Amino acid sequence: MQFLANPTRFLRIANAVLPYVWAITVALFAVGLYGALVTAPPDYQQGETVRIMYVHVPAAWMALFVYTVMALASAVAAIFRHPLADVAAKTAAPIGAVFCFLSLATGSLWGKPMWGAWWVWDARLTSMFVLMLLYIGYMAIWAAIEEPHRAAMVARVVALVGFINIPIVKFSVDWWNSLHQPASVFRMDGPTIAGPMLWPLLVMGLAYTFLFLALHLTAMRAEIAARKIRQIHIAEIGER
Amino acid sequence: MNLILALIRRDLTLTLRQGGGVGTALGFFLCVVVLLPIGIGPDQALLARIAPGALWISLLLSVLLSADRIYQQDYEDGSLDIMTMGPVPFEMVALAKSVAHWLSTSLPLAIAAPILGFLVNLEPEAILPLAIAMVVGSIALSLIASIGAAVTVGLRRGGLLVSILVLPLYVPVLIFGLSASQPNAAPGLTAASLLILGAIALVSLVVSPLASAAALRSYLK
Amino acid sequence: MDFSANHVGFVIASYALTFLCLAGLIIATLGRDRKLRAQVERLDTQRRKPR
Repeated sequence: MQFLANPTRFLRIANAVLPYVWAITVALFAVGLYGALVTAPPDYQQGETVRIMYVHVPAAWMALFVYTVMALASAVAAIFRHPLADVAAKTAAPIGAVFCFLSLATGSLWGKPMWGAWWVWDARLTSMFVLMLLYIGYMAIWAAIEEPHRAAMVARVVALVGFINIPIVKFSVDWWNSLHQPASVFRMDGPTIAGPMLWPLLVMGLAYTFLFLALHLTAMRAEIAARKIRQIHIAEIGER
Repeated sequence: MNLILALIRRDLTLTLRQGGGVGTALGFFLCVVVLLPIGIGPDQALLARIAPGALWISLLLSVLLSADRIYQQDYEDGSLDIMTMGPVPFEMVALAKSVAHWLSTSLPLAIAAPILGFLVNLEPEAILPLAIAMVVGSIALSLIASIGAAVTVGLRRGGLLVSILVLPLYVPVLIFGLSASQPNAAPGLTAASLLILGAIALVSLVVSPLASAAALRSYLK
Repeated sequence: MDFSANHVGFVIASYALTFLCLAGLIIATLGRDRKLRAQVERLDTQRRKPR
C-alpha cells in the first residue's frame, strides 16, 4: 500500500507539471539554437566549427549531472528504501547514456577538424569514456537481473561505487595526462568565452536540463505503469 | 578474529586443493608475456619501454579472469547463506574472501610478474619498484574484483558484465601503478604515486566489503 | 552562420546527430509511456468488470 501511496502523488504532480516542462524545453531550444546558429559569432581561430560547442558542452554537462542524479537517487533508495527512488535512478540511466554518447560523438566530430584525429586520449575524453562504461554497466545490471527488487538492490551498489570512482578517475587521468605531455591539445577554459558566445551556451545548457527533466518524468511515469502491470499480473496468478 | 582467519584458511585450502585457480591466472599471464613480443616484434628498446605497462595490463586481466571464483562456488552450494547467519558480520566474510583471493591469486601474480619481466626486456632497475607497486596495487585489484564478483554472483552470463563493471574501477589502479613503477621518473614522483596507490587500496578496503556484502545479500534473500 | 566555411560539414553532422539521437530518445520515451499507460487502463477496466 505504501508503494502505491507515494507514486500516486508523484503521478499527480508529474501529470500536472509535464506540459509546462515540455513547453519550456521547446522555448529554450528555440532561443538557444537561434543564439548558437545565428547571433553567435564564429571563433577567430576555429571559424564556424566552434558552433559544435553549443551541442557538445551541454551534452557533457548533462552526462555528469544525470549520473549525479542517479547516484543521489540510489543513495536515497539505499537509506530510506523508497521504491520511487529506484525508479528514478533506473529511468535516468538511459537518458544520461544518450547524453554521454552525444558528448563523445560530437566531441569526436569537433576533434577531427581541430586535432586532425577522431579520437585523442586526452584527459577529458578518457574520463568521459569511463563514464560511458559506468552507464553501460549500470544498465546492463538492470537488464541482466530479472527480479526487479533484487535488480534494484544490486543496481544501487553499482551506481554508488561508480559515483565514488568518478572523481578518482578524473584525478588519475589528469595525472596520467600530465605525465605523458600531450601535443598541445586545444583547451577551452571557462572565463575566456565572450558574452555573445556565452549566453547561447548557457541557454542550451538550460534547454538540455529541461529536456532531461521532461524525459525523466515521462520515463518514471512509464516505469510506474510497467510495475503496476507486473503487480496486476502477479495478483491474477494468485487469484487463479 | 579467529573465525575470520578460519574463513581465510578455508578458502585458501579450497583453492589450493582444487588447483586451477592460481594456475589458470598464471597461465594467462604467461600467455600475454610470451605472445606480446611475438605480436609486436622483438625490438629490445621498444619492449623495454612498454614492459611495465604490458606487465600491469596482464596482471589486471589475470586478476579479472579469476574474479568470478571469489563467491561463485559458495553461492551455489549454499555456504554463503549459512555465513549470513553466522556470528561474523557479513562484511567481514566478504573481506575475508577478498583477502583469500588476494593471497591465492593476486599476490603470487604480483610477485611473479617482475620476475617474468625479463621475457619482455624489463630494465633491471625497474624490477624492485614494479614489485612494490604491484604488491600494493594487487590489494586494490582483489578488493575491486570482489565487488564485481559479488554484483554478478547469481547471473548465468556474468562474465562480460564483470569486465564492464570492473574496468572503470581498474583505470586509476593502472595509472598510479604504472606511474609508481617508473624508475627513471622525476624524484618524488614514484613515491607520490605509490602513496596514492596505497590510498586507493585503503579506499577499496573500506568500500569493497560494504558493497560486496550489500550485493551478495540481495542475491541471498 | 556561413555555410561555405571550412569544416562546415562537421558542424552540420554534429547538429544532425544530436537531433537524431534526442528525437529518437524522445519518441522512444513517449511511446513507452503511452503504451504502458494504455495497458494499465485496459487491465484496470478488465478487472473491474467481473466484480
